[in-house]
Formats: sequence, structure tokens, C-alpha cells
Amino acid sequence: MKLKLTLMTMTAAAAFMMSGATTAAAETTLETVQARGHLRCQVGPPSPGYYNLDAAGEWYGLDVSICRSVAAAIFGDATKLEIQSVSSQARFTALANGDSDMLSRTATMTMSRDTQLGLDFLPPNFYDGQGFTVRKDSGITNALQLKGAKVCVTSGTTTELNLTDFSRENDLGISNVTFDDYNVRDDTYLNGGCDAVTGDKSSMAGNIGSFPVPSDHMILPETLSKEPLAPAVRHGDSQWADIVRWSVYALINAEELGITQANVDDMRANSKNPNVLRMLGVEGNLHEGLGLGKDWAYDIIKSQGNYGEIYEKYMGHGEQGIGIDRAGSLNALWTDGGLMYSPPMR
Amino acid sequence: MAIITQQKTAERPAPISETSVLGWLRINLFSSSFNTILTLVMVFIVYLTISGVLAWGYLDATFVADKRRECYDFSLTGACWAGVIAWLDNIFYGRYPREELWRVNMGGLLLILWMIPLWISRVRGKILIGVSVIMFYPFLAGYLFTGGEKSWFMQFMVTGAFLAFFVNMANMLIGLTMNTSMDKFLLRLIGQSEAPDKTQRNILLGLVVLSFVIIFSVQSSWIVDGVSWTKWGGLFLTLVISGIGIASSLPLGIFLALGRRSKLPVVRVLSTGFIEVFRSVPLITVLFMATTMFPLFMPEGFFLNKLVQVIIAVVLFNACYMAEIVRAGLQAIPKGQFEGAHTIGLGYWGTMGLIIMPQALKHMIPNIVGNIIGLLKDTTLVSIIGLFDILGMLRSISKDVPWLGLHKEPLVFGAILFFLICFSMSKYSRHLEAKLSAGNKH
Repeated sequence: MKLKLTLMTMTAAAAFMMSGATTAAAETTLETVQARGHLRCQVGPPSPGYYNLDAAGEWYGLDVSICRSVAAAIFGDATKLEIQSVSSQARFTALANGDSDMLSRTATMTMSRDTQLGLDFLPPNFYDGQGFTVRKDSGITNALQLKGAKVCVTSGTTTELNLTDFSRENDLGISNVTFDDYNVRDDTYLNGGCDAVTGDKSSMAGNIGSFPVPSDHMILPETLSKEPLAPAVRHGDSQWADIVRWSVYALINAEELGITQANVDDMRANSKNPNVLRMLGVEGNLHEGLGLGKDWAYDIIKSQGNYGEIYEKYMGHGEQGIGIDRAGSLNALWTDGGLMYSPPMR
Repeated sequence: MAIITQQKTAERPAPISETSVLGWLRINLFSSSFNTILTLVMVFIVYLTISGVLAWGYLDATFVADKRRECYDFSLTGACWAGVIAWLDNIFYGRYPREELWRVNMGGLLLILWMIPLWISRVRGKILIGVSVIMFYPFLAGYLFTGGEKSWFMQFMVTGAFLAFFVNMANMLIGLTMNTSMDKFLLRLIGQSEAPDKTQRNILLGLVVLSFVIIFSVQSSWIVDGVSWTKWGGLFLTLVISGIGIASSLPLGIFLALGRRSKLPVVRVLSTGFIEVFRSVPLITVLFMATTMFPLFMPEGFFLNKLVQVIIAVVLFNACYMAEIVRAGLQAIPKGQFEGAHTIGLGYWGTMGLIIMPQALKHMIPNIVGNIIGLLKDTTLVSIIGLFDILGMLRSISKDVPWLGLHKEPLVFGAILFFLICFSMSKYSRHLEAKLSAGNKH
């Protein structure tokens, strides 16, 4: 696995260096995107909550909404978008070689990725963390009771490494049962093949919801790792990075200011709050620095809603949501004790 | 004293113990105590399997539901086919716009109609039909599937395709009803069947040009909406990739095989090198190279879409396997055949095309079809590089929130679908073998 990761890093790095050499004289990413007429936004193979296909063949999810927001900011039309689904082995290469304009997938922002792969990570749109799922009747209530347990885990990710670290650190002697596909992992757990499952808490919450009897299972309170999931762009085009960065911030800021998809027209016409007026392009010239139209933030909110609305729709309890409570989590607004915080837009 | 009777004893039926069902059972299944035990054990295993599959797949299964939870409410152990049913469009057509699905169906239907005459023995001119399919159908289907503005070349080819298709259909009807070929029928119709050859040819040529012009003017106003290849998916995409792969890897393989056996050193070394290099790397590596590394080596602005890259990779990869199969067939042809061909004055291409290849390919039908089936199944690898072929779609069902975790049923469905396709291919190859070797049964 280690070898695979190293190889992957090397190809991505090589690709980045070569693309750097060939695109140095080229136009900016924004110009390329505008000339092409649509944004190419990279997601991964379907993953519940973040990016899924529905039965009608349309993409939906939290990360897809970020893609749509950026498309809306640039074109005023969230449908001028091509969603590319790329496997995790090829994700950074596909960004580096210019295939994708941006990456909005469950990529954990880490120092080595940010500094060595030719990527720029932007503000996280979801804070995740690794945890354990156990059966309620097992009597386990915290992770330190997992001494000698068999734990099901998907292979090839940091999840597996984190589990090993956790076991060593606390001298638990956990034995890993690894799987390629998390559906098989969950089936094995349900059939008694292991005592616990480890994975990102968000996706496990979704998976528990799909178990035959969800109330028989629970997620332990411990969090093994920090997983800030953030969009990323190619290193070296600051204007483009700014566009994606402030598109994310606009979603968070809109929630803070109480602007929603439903009231955005009303707010733009009648609000007295200068912060709202500046953001929606009625006053000031915030858009100029981005090189976008005056309505960029308005178009985002009008088509996607604010961060809270998107969260409820896909991660929360909406029709297509996977049912993760937001209150009290890291993903709440900073005013509610979470980490979602936007610098002032002025 | 011998008793002799003139009457033949009446025929009696074979003893019941030999002919009845019971007799068959006794002889084949219960002939000894060991066989009896074996039979009973097997019957029990078969019963367990069938009853289990039946309970899971049909008796306890849910066919109508809006989400997986509703399936669970109905039964915790049964299959949830409702999810597969809700996703059928995705499984077959991918993300192709739903109101444009008729174009995909039409493309498939045209191909089938076009090929039908090839299987009817009374229809004449099979080689022309085959050539017309390979020359024109890809363009017609390509335009149907992608749509948008037609370039001049495309208009030309689409017209050609329509013309070839109509002629083909008319030819089939004429062949079926009047047992003659279309050109003879037309000439008779206008009373020129006794005219000299040259006049006949001119008349036919005139007819072709006339209908070409008519069709050309009609088709130029026929424009369908553009659909990006990124919306292609499901079984449709699998069949497009493997269809092109099958159609091009065989001819390419034949040339590579000939190249490898060539007396010209450059041709031989190049063919051998190409075959060995591509055959020595796994397909998934070739696919990754084609999609992620290939764009880096290309000059800026040069853009080949991912689907084309994938198809090229699949074709080149399979051509190498095909080449080795064809070469094996060539090795099996005795030297006398070559010498015989030379004595009647055939050159290299004549020898190969008329004498050697037909025999070599006939011998290799099982291998070729085996390779084709392998190719069809290999194309599912493209789901790893992010194309939503049938496997990609089947796996996505378990990630769609209403059907979260539903992964067994889609895969079972996919397995059945693949079995049907591959089994009918192998059946057809058996039929082809029997038909082609009718002369030399041994």
C-alpha cells in the first residue's frame, strides 16, 4: 500500500512539473474556462453525501454543490459544468495535467499534499474525523475497550494507517480486517466477521442508516484523526484559487448573514445591511478582484442556497441527506460553536 | 423335432424397468448403494441452493419501493430489486438525456436490421453488405449518438449510410420475395435487362447518384441535439467500446500477425516489438497511461477526449492478442497450401486473402470468440478510470442515498446480463463453426 501511495505521489509530482513547463506561457485558468464555456470540476467515484448519481443520472451532493457554486459564480449558470468522476489514484494527476479545473472531492487537506503535489487547498467545506462503529449490545462504549478486537477497515487509505497508529499508541493489539469495497466491509461486520468498523464518521453515519436495523449500532465518541475535506486547485494561479476560495466563503457568509435561496431576491432589493449589499453586488466593487460579474455571489446563493441549506439537503435530514446532525459538530457555524467561519467580505 | 412357425412373434415393448422414468432413475441414479447416497446428497444440495436463491431473489424480494428502507420494512432477508428497477435507465444508457434515449435504441436497431440480411441465405451480395456496415454504420451511429452540427464529411458519410441502408433493406426484401438481386430486379423493371453491360452499369450508377443527391438534400435539414460523450454510460458505453474494439482489433490483429511472419526485417521487428510490448503490460496500466500520461506528451491545445483515448487503448491492446491468435492459425496451415497457391500463380496478398486466411481464421474461431468475450468483460475496467460503464453504474447504486448499501442485487443483475450476452456470443460462434466446417466434419 505504501508503495502504491508513493508511486501515486510521484506520478502526480511528475505530471505537475511537466504541466508547469508547458502551460507557463498559457492563459489563466479563468480565461481557459470562460473560453471553453463550462467548468470541469473533479469529484470521485460516487460517495454518499458528497457526490452521488441519482436514478435520473444527475449528480448531487455537498461537493457537487461546491462545483455548481463556482460554475454559477463564473457563468451565472450552475449548469455550465462538467462533473468528472476520477478514481483516487488519478485524482491529483488529472488536476495537474489540466484535465480538471478544480477538485471538489473528499480530499483531506494535509501539509504534504498542499506543499509537495503542486496543489493549493482552499477552505474546508466539511470537517470529518475517523471513528468506530460498534454493535450496541457489545457493551463497548469507548474505543479503549477495543482491546484485541477485530476491526474492519477499507484498504489503501489513511484510515488503515490511523487505525494501526491508534492501536500501537494505546497498546490495544487490534487486528485489521481489510477490504477494498466498503459494502463488503459492512456486510462482513453485519454478519459478525468483525467487532467494529472504522472509517470517516460522516460516511459511517450514512452507512449505519442503510443497515437493516440502524438502532442496533452506534458510533463511538472518540475521533482518531482530523480530516478537513477541502476543494483544491492547481498551484500557481492565485486568481483562480481566489475564485474557488471566495465561492466557498460566500456560502458560509450567506448563512451567517441569513441570506437563503428563498429570500436572496428580497435581500438584494430591500436589505439595509451593508454587508449583505456588498456581498450581493449592490454596493462596492468586491467582484472586481475576482474578475467576475457583479452578481457572482447572488448567482451562487440563488442557485445553490447557503452552506446551511446545502448541508441539510445532502448531509443532514433532507430527502437526499445521509442524516448527520449538524448542531454541536465541527461543521456548525462558528457562532454555534463550530468551525465554519468566513473572513469578512468587504 | 424342431418347432418352426411362420408367424413372427409380436413385438413387445421394452421392459418397464428399461424405459419408464423409474427405470431411467434406477439405472442412472440408484444403481448401487453408493450412487444412491450420492444422488440423495446432491438432490439435497440442489434443493438448498434453489430454495435459498428462490427465497432471496423472488419470494422474499421487493420489486416496488421508493427507497431501501421500504424493502427492509417488507423483508429483512429478501432482495431489493426495486433499486435495480429504478436505476434501469442508468444501467442501460448511463447519463444519456432521458428524452433522447430513442437515439440509442435507434442506433442499435439500425445495426440489427442492417445485419439481418447476412443471416438469410436467400439474400445476395453478402460481402457488399458487410463492407457497407463497416464503412458507413459507424458514422451514422456516431452522428445519432453525439448529434450537433454535421461537418461536410459527416453529411457525406451519413448520406452514404442511409443510401446503403435503404438499398440493403430493399435488396433483402427483393431477395426474399423474388429470389434475385436488386440490380437485376431494377434493370428488369425498366426493361433494360438485355442491354449491354456498359449501359447497365451506367443506368445503375445514375440511379445511385440520383438517390444520393435526394437523400443528401433531405438529411441536411435533419439535425439532432448534441450530447456530450461524458453523458454516455451503462451497457450502451460498454457495447460502444467493445463493439469498436471487436470490429477494429481483428483486422489490425491480422495485419500484425502477417507483419510478424513477414520476410521484411523492419516490418517484422516493428510488429513483434509492438505485440510484445502491449501484451506484456496489464490493460489497466495501458488505460491509465492513455488517460493520465498521454495528454502530457501531446503538444498544447491538442485534445483527445478520454473516451477516444480509452477506445484506442482497448483496440491496440486487443489487437496484440488477436495477432497471436491469428498467427497460431497461420502456423497450422500446411506448407502445401502456400505452394499450391504459388503454382496457380497467386501473389502474396492473393495467397493470404484467398487461400490461407480463410482457413486460418476458420480454425481459430473458438479462440477469436473467446478473445472477444474476454474483451467485452475487460471493458468493465474503464469504470476504474471514471467512465460510468455498466459496472460503474451498477456499483453507483449502492451510493445513491435512497438505495444506500444496495450492492448485491445490482451485481447479480449485472452477472445475469453479462451471462446472457456472452452466452449468446458463444452460441453464435458454435453455429458459425458448424456452418463453416460443414464440408470437412471429422
